[in-house]
Amino acid sequence: MTNIIDPIAEIDETRVADQDVVIGKSRIIFRRFMRNRTAVAGLFIFVALFLFSLFGGFLTPWDKETLDPLNIGMPPSPDHLLGTTQAGIDLMALIVDGTRTSILIGLIVGGVSVLISAVYGCTMAFFGGKVDATMLFILEALIMMPAILVVAVATSGSGGLKNLPSWLLLIVVLLFFSWMGTARLVRSLSMSLMQRDYVKAAKYMGVPSRRIVWRHLVPNIGSLLVLDFTRGITGAILAEVAFSFIGIGIKLPDVSLGVLIGQATGQVSSFPWMFWVPLTVMFLLTGSLAMMNDGLRDAFDPSSSSIGRAKNKTAKVTNK
Amino acid sequence: MSTNISQNPAERLRDAGLYAPGEAVLSVRDLNVRFNSENGVVHAVRGVDFDLMPGKTLGIVGESGSGKSVTSMAIMGLLPETADITGSVRYKGKELLGLSDKAMCKHRGSDIAMVFQDPLSSLTPVYTVGTQIIEALTVHNPNMGKQAKEARAVELLRMVGIPSPKDRLKAFPHEFSGGMRQRVMIAIAIANDPRVLIADEPTTALDVTIQAQVLEVLHTAQEETGAAVVMITHDLGVVAGMADDIMVMYAGKPVETGTVEDIYYNPRMPYTLGLLGAVPRVDTATKQSLVPIEGTPPNLALPVNGCSFAARCPMVSDACLHGEPELVSVPGSEAQTLGHKAACIKSDELSGNADAHKIFHAPPKPVSKFDGVERLEREKVLELKDVKKHFPLLKGALIKRRIGTVKAVDGLSFDIREGECVSIVGESGCGKTTTLLEIMEFHPDQVGEVVIGGVSNKVATDHKTKMAMRKEMQMVFQDPTGALDPRFTVYEVLAEPLENLGMPKAAVKKRIMELMKLVGLQPDHVNRFPNQFSGGQRQRIGIARALAVNPKLVVLDEPVSALDVSVQAGVINLLDKLRAELGLSYLMVAHDLSVVRHISDRVAVMYLGKIVETGDVDDVFDNPRHPYTRALLSAIPVPDPELERTRERIILQGDLPSPLDAPKGCNFATRCPVFAALPAAKQEKCLTLEPPLAPEKEGTQDFACFFPDGELDADMLVVHA
Repeated sequence: MTNIIDPIAEIDETRVADQDVVIGKSRIIFRRFMRNRTAVAGLFIFVALFLFSLFGGFLTPWDKETLDPLNIGMPPSPDHLLGTTQAGIDLMALIVDGTRTSILIGLIVGGVSVLISAVYGCTMAFFGGKVDATMLFILEALIMMPAILVVAVATSGSGGLKNLPSWLLLIVVLLFFSWMGTARLVRSLSMSLMQRDYVKAAKYMGVPSRRIVWRHLVPNIGSLLVLDFTRGITGAILAEVAFSFIGIGIKLPDVSLGVLIGQATGQVSSFPWMFWVPLTVMFLLTGSLAMMNDGLRDAFDPSSSSIGRAKNKTAKVTNK
Repeated sequence: MSTNISQNPAERLRDAGLYAPGEAVLSVRDLNVRFNSENGVVHAVRGVDFDLMPGKTLGIVGESGSGKSVTSMAIMGLLPETADITGSVRYKGKELLGLSDKAMCKHRGSDIAMVFQDPLSSLTPVYTVGTQIIEALTVHNPNMGKQAKEARAVELLRMVGIPSPKDRLKAFPHEFSGGMRQRVMIAIAIANDPRVLIADEPTTALDVTIQAQVLEVLHTAQEETGAAVVMITHDLGVVAGMADDIMVMYAGKPVETGTVEDIYYNPRMPYTLGLLGAVPRVDTATKQSLVPIEGTPPNLALPVNGCSFAARCPMVSDACLHGEPELVSVPGSEAQTLGHKAACIKSDELSGNADAHKIFHAPPKPVSKFDGVERLEREKVLELKDVKKHFPLLKGALIKRRIGTVKAVDGLSFDIREGECVSIVGESGCGKTTTLLEIMEFHPDQVGEVVIGGVSNKVATDHKTKMAMRKEMQMVFQDPTGALDPRFTVYEVLAEPLENLGMPKAAVKKRIMELMKLVGLQPDHVNRFPNQFSGGQRQRIGIARALAVNPKLVVLDEPVSALDVSVQAGVINLLDKLRAELGLSYLMVAHDLSVVRHISDRVAVMYLGKIVETGDVDDVFDNPRHPYTRALLSAIPVPDPELERTRERIILQGDLPSPLDAPKGCNFATRCPVFAALPAAKQEKCLTLEPPLAPEKEGTQDFACFFPDGELDADMLVVHA
C-alpha cells in the first residue's frame, strides 16, 4: 500500500508506539491471547502434537509397514512404547502417521475453505442484486446436499478418482462441503461493513467499488477469518474421524486417527490401548484447538473485557 | 442555596419533620477507583468527596473520561470485580463499600436508585413494562399484594406522565419511544421511594424536545419522592436549572465544587471557566469565537505530578507543575453546606469577572471575503427543487401490501450560496439525514432536482460529470471513529480522494502536508493510525479528507455531536476559520441548536419531511414564528442558572407522530401548543389546509403556520418559579 517510507518517520512511529498511550494492535492481540491461560496451553499442546506428527518417527525404531512377529497384539512395553496391533505393527508408528494425516487434512481444509468463503462471500455482498441471489441459491443448494453420500461415493473409488490417494480425495470432498457457512457469514459481515461511514465516505469521493472492496472490506473481515480458520481445522479433523470411523473416509494403506479408532472399536475389551491411545490423541488435537479458539476470540474481539485485574500487583510491574 | 425558589422539596420535608437538617443522606469520602488496562493500571477516580443532603440535587459535570460515571457506578456497587475501589461511601451513615453483591442488593433500588443513559438498552425487550416495574417492587417488597403492586405501577406510570397508564402496563418496551422508555426507567427507579436517585446522563441519547420532557419528569419525580439527586452530565445547560450544587470533575478528581451560582457566575478554576466559555449560547447572537481548550486530558495510567490540568491551562506556571493542588475553600465565599472550593493555586486571580476569551486566547472571529457581499449576488453552490423521498410501507410476509407511505422528505426546496452556512435542524426522524443522503446520492432517478455547482442530477449521467460533481462537494461524518478506516494510516486516509483523481505521488504528498497544517494537526503524524488520535483530532482528519479535493461545499452531518464540549469548541472554531479562509459553503445537519446558532448564517427547521420555518439564523432564533420552532428553542437548556429557573418553557406533548397517521392539514397540529389553545372553528383550518411556506413581510423568514402569534396552551407551558 502507499506509504511514504521515511526513515525518520519510521523511527518516530516506533517511538510513539513504545512510549505510552499507543500500543500496536498486534501487540494488544498477542497480550490478550497470552492472558488466557487455557488458550496458551491449547497452543502449546497443538504445537507439541504437530511436532510429534513430524518427528515422532524418531521415537520408535519401527515403521507402520513392518510387522513384529514376536509382539502381536501386545500391550505397551519397552520395545513398543504404545503396544502393537493384532497384526504386530507398532502403534506408535501408526499414531504418528495418523496424526500427521489428520493435521494435514485439518490445516488444508481449514485454510482453503476460509479462502474460498472469503472470496465467495465478498463477491456476493459487493455485487448484490441478481449475482447475490444466484450465488446464494447455489450456496443453499450445496448446504442441502447430503455430504455423507457424496463422500461415500467419491471415496469408494468409482469414476476416475482411483489414482488419487484417499487422503487427498477426502480433502477435496471436505473442502467442497465446508465453506458455505463461513461464506454466508462473510457476506453478511461485508454487507454491514458497506454501511460504515468510511465506506460511504469513499463512495462519496467517487472511489470505484472494486477498490473499496479490496482496500476497505477485505482487511476488515480479517479477524473473523482467523477465527474461522481454527474452527475449520477442528471441523475438518472431526469430519475425517467420523467418515473414517464408518469406513468411507481414509482407506488403508493410509492411516488416520479415524481409521485407527474405527479399527479398534471392535476389540476395546481385548486390546484397550489400540482404542484409547488414538482417541486421546484426537481429543488432545481438537481440544487444544477449542481451547485456543476461546483465547483467539478474546484477543480479536474489540469489545473483549479481557483486561486483567487492577488489584493484580504483578500486572502493575510488567505494564510499567 | 437558591434564594428564588420559595420552597424546595428539602425545605418542605424538613418542615414535615422527616429529616434532621445537616445530615447527609449520602456521603462519599476519598473515593478511589483503579482499573487495569492494556496500558497499565488506570487511576480512574482519584479522591472524590461529597455530601449529598436530602432533597438536594448535586450535578457532577465533566468530559468523558473524567470519572463521573465511574464514581456513580462505584457508589452503586456496579463496577466489575476487577476494579480496585478504596475510600468510603456511606448511606445514612452505613458503609456501602465492601458490601457483598447480595447485601448491596438490599440498598440498590430501594435506597439508592439509578437512571441510566441509554433507555433503549436498559429495559428487557421480552417483558412488558408492567412486569418490569412490578419486578422492582417485588424485589424490595416481597409481602406486597398483587393488586397493590399493580396499582402502584399504574400510579408510577401516571407520575412520569405516560398517558393511559393502565393499558400501557401491558405494552412491551419496543412499543414505546425513547423518551417514553426513559420515563419508564425513571418510574422503575422511583418505585421504592429511594432517598438517592443517581441519573447518569439521563437525556444525552434523546432529542431536545424529549430531553425537556424527561428533565421535567425528573423534576416532578424528585418533588414527589423528596429524593436527593445526583445528576451526572457533560452538558452545563442541563444542570443549570436543576442542580443546587455542582461538582466539576477533571481527570478523575473534583477540581471545583460549589453552589450553581458560584460555579456559573464566579468560576475559580481555569477549567471551569474554559468549559463555560466553550459552550455556544442559543439565546445570544454574539459573533465571537468559542473558547477552545487545547490538548487532551492526561493519561491516568501514569502518575499525575502537579496539576492535572496544567498541560492545557493557559495560566500555567512552574508552581503548577509541582504537587497537585488540593481542593481548598475559595477566599471570599461564605461558608455554606458545600462551600465554594477550587483546586487551583491561582483561583485568586480569577476572582471578579475573568474573561475566558482573553485567558484562553480565543481567536478573533474570522471574516470571509463573501461576508460583505449581498446574499442574492453570490453564486448558488447547491440548489434543491422540490426534492422528495418517499418510502413505501409494506405489510405481509409473502405478498407485500402497501399500507402507506413514509414521507421522509416531502417537497424540499432551498439553496445555498457561496460562503454561507445553512443548517437543517429538527428532531430525529424529521428527515434531515435523508435530505443529506439524497443530495449525496446525486442520481438521475431521484424525484426533484438537485443542482450542485451548476450541474443538475437530471443531466449528470456519465461518470465524468459525476466525478466533477464529487469534486465540488464532500462530506464530514458524525462519528469520527466510524468514518475512518481503522486499518488506514492518516496518510492513506487523506491520499484516497487525491489518488482517485489521478494526482501524481509527489503532489499527493505535498497536498497532504498542507492539509495537516490547515486543520491544525502535526504534519509528522501522518503515519499514525486513527486510533492513536483523540476524538477531536479524528474529526479534524475527517475534515482534512473532505477538503483534500478543494470542494466548494462541505456537507456536515452532526460534525461535533460526538465530541466533548472542550474539544467541540476547537472544531467549531476550525470550521469557522476554514469557511472564511477558503470561501467554503456548509450544509450542516445538527440537533444542537446552540451550535447551529453559533456557526450558521441561515437555518431551516424541519418537521416530518417538510421545512416549517427558514430564514436568517438571527431572525429565526430571536423571533421564531412557527410554534414548533418556538418549542424547539425553548427546550434548549441555557448554561445560566438564573435564567434557566425563571424562563418559561414549552413542553411539547408526545413524540413525533407515526408517518402512517400524519395529519392531513398542518403536520404539526397533533403536538402544536397553539393549536391546542385555538377555538374549534379555527382548529378546523389547521386540520384541513396545509399552511404554505411564506414570509409574513418582505425580508424576514419564511414559515408555514396560519396562527404564528396564537396563544400557547397553558398545559404545555412550564415555569419553575
